[in-house]
Amino acid sequence: MDGERAAKGGSGFLGTRAGQALAANWAACFLVLMLMVFSLTGRNFLSIVNFQNVLQIQTVAFLLAAAETFVVITGGIDLSVGFVMGLASVAAAKLMQIFLAGHVPVGWTIGLATLIVLAGSVLPGLVSGVVITKFRVPPFIATLGMWGITNGLALKICQGYPMAGLPDILPGIGNSYLLYVHPGDFVSFFSKPDSFPYNRTRELLRFVPSSLPFVLVVLAALSFVLLRGRFGRHTYAIGGSMDAALRSGIAVDAHIIKIYVLSSFLAGVAGVFNIFQTGIGNYTTFNAQYEFFAIAAVVVGGASLAGGKGRIWNSAMGVLVLAFLENGLAISGVQPFYRYIAVGVLLVLAVVIDKFFPDVR
Amino acid sequence: MPNANATKPIAARGAGPERAGSVRALASILGKRWVLIFLALETLYFCFKSQGFANLNSLQILLFYGVLVFLLATAELFVIVTGGIDLSVGYVLGFASIISIKLMEWLGPLGLGEPLTVLIGVCLTLVIGLVPGLVNGWLVAYLKVPPFIATFSMLGVCHGVSELIINGVYAMGLPKLASDIGSGYLLYVGPGGRASLFQGPVVDRGVTVLDIVPNIVVVTSIIIGIFAFVLARSKFGRHVYALGGNMDAAIRAGIPVKRRLLGVYALSSFLASLGGIVYAFMYVSGKPDAGASLLLDAIAGVVIGGASMFGGSGSVGRTMLGALIIAVLDLGLRMSGTPTFDKYILVGVILILAVIIERYMQEKA
Repeated sequence: MDGERAAKGGSGFLGTRAGQALAANWAACFLVLMLMVFSLTGRNFLSIVNFQNVLQIQTVAFLLAAAETFVVITGGIDLSVGFVMGLASVAAAKLMQIFLAGHVPVGWTIGLATLIVLAGSVLPGLVSGVVITKFRVPPFIATLGMWGITNGLALKICQGYPMAGLPDILPGIGNSYLLYVHPGDFVSFFSKPDSFPYNRTRELLRFVPSSLPFVLVVLAALSFVLLRGRFGRHTYAIGGSMDAALRSGIAVDAHIIKIYVLSSFLAGVAGVFNIFQTGIGNYTTFNAQYEFFAIAAVVVGGASLAGGKGRIWNSAMGVLVLAFLENGLAISGVQPFYRYIAVGVLLVLAVVIDKFFPDVR
Repeated sequence: MPNANATKPIAARGAGPERAGSVRALASILGKRWVLIFLALETLYFCFKSQGFANLNSLQILLFYGVLVFLLATAELFVIVTGGIDLSVGYVLGFASIISIKLMEWLGPLGLGEPLTVLIGVCLTLVIGLVPGLVNGWLVAYLKVPPFIATFSMLGVCHGVSELIINGVYAMGLPKLASDIGSGYLLYVGPGGRASLFQGPVVDRGVTVLDIVPNIVVVTSIIIGIFAFVLARSKFGRHVYALGGNMDAAIRAGIPVKRRLLGVYALSSFLASLGGIVYAFMYVSGKPDAGASLLLDAIAGVVIGGASMFGGSGSVGRTMLGALIIAVLDLGLRMSGTPTFDKYILVGVILILAVIIERYMQEKA
């Protein structure tokens, strides 16, 4: 670390190498600190069962934060992710209901509905991207418009109620674990043996939720795309300086459209996964505020809304910070609503730290 | 649905070269007035589509249900003119709707009498309602946090605090006087031309009493009128435009930029909390997400009204026109029996179209 940079970062402890490292990794430090505190205050917080639960429940948040990361790096914002997710969820549920009513076999029903919805989920992003690039509408406005459109469409499909009557095996798939162990008895993969009595389920040890490898693979692929390929290089270039990107011959408009399509597609994946997790089609309520938590995770992960900065894994860590904040508060018996306040404070903190240490990451 | 591009066919028809000039001039005039034309077409459409929409009384109802959008759009306008954005208005509204009721519930047993309870409750709510805005303004002006993040955080904080206060049950204990004001009218004309202010005459069933102008519309109009004056005529207003036009120039011209920004965000939050009080008076309940869906409406109103998201332009009058488009849409859809779900879609589409039309007009000019 050179002297000039250290001087910019502040004086005293914060000017030292250790101080700079702390500032650069404050979110990680905060996460560790939080885990330690909650381990003391919350019974059973520090347990593999709880950690697995958190990871499993946050699947959707990981996907949305990854989607938002791409958009934020280009200097844009996507406010519609939460409602695109809800739309995908109810659309998939509707399709499944239609297929089931038409006596399509369950396997085909699930497969077809999933594929159709995943293919369709690129549409909101395509529209946003075209509106942003070809008509020069600010991303904030374009995706706010899409926020309304997708919300309205989702509500029209589900008529304002969660959609039940889907195949029974859905939640079994979404909530399965890779490994089931009954100590001294058996080891089973992917699902518990049918012979195992239902009322003794609690005795089972479950390891690695199936959603975890899924999320890891998706995030790894996205991170690879972002850091290793031309696509990622262009993404950072556009966020760093739009003019420079244009002059260096990058097809900026086409690239930005792809970014919003990707964001919308990932939200669609999250929506479909939501069905596998809950077994019903859920529209997104205003109070859910998925976009709020996705953007917060990305910013806590060190990305800048001005563009040019951000990493998939850092955003994933941002998700973990928010997730354990919620989980830890709940287990410690604190009202869960404090998390909204805490996240708001964290968000501002992240930006202020970013202001004082602009170069360290 | 009336088409937003109402001017296009006219422009396309101008085939004759000798007439092209005047047609283009006409198209340009119509283009500049597209909001008015759209509003007229929209109203006309609903007059045919919705039973009972073509009725003077529905104008009152329109304004009655539109007040929240009008208030939030005015709040948002001030912030957008400075080049910022306030995402927290909706949840500040919800927060204020809760604390106004909770305060009155708490003041009730002190034996001040209903009028004083309501008055003190409203005033205290307005004072507390300044806090989110002051924090936003402080973050934006003094800590240089981007408005998007600062107000986004405040949205979360207001949501959290609201949930904590109500603890799972909507706030309901509004004094009867307040709900009477909320549902009451300024003037009642009974049978035989007997008129009375504020309180309707007691009449037999089946006798019609003419109600004129809901109280809430009167209050809101006065407040918005004051703020329209402030933006258009006062020094504060001039400074707000200067900030949004060119921040550097504003600093060099000696405008106290930080104090003005603080003032603008405080004002926005003040109007939003006024909206919260109005919500409580109208719906006799307070809940955290009371204004959650209104953020889209408010920003759409401002943008349709021609304000630039980059700051420096916009007026209260045109913003009200934009907000009216949404209010007409809302009431029209409600009265035509379509579920309100369509509203979200249409507002989203109109919002995006408005920016596109605005941009198109600028490029031609």
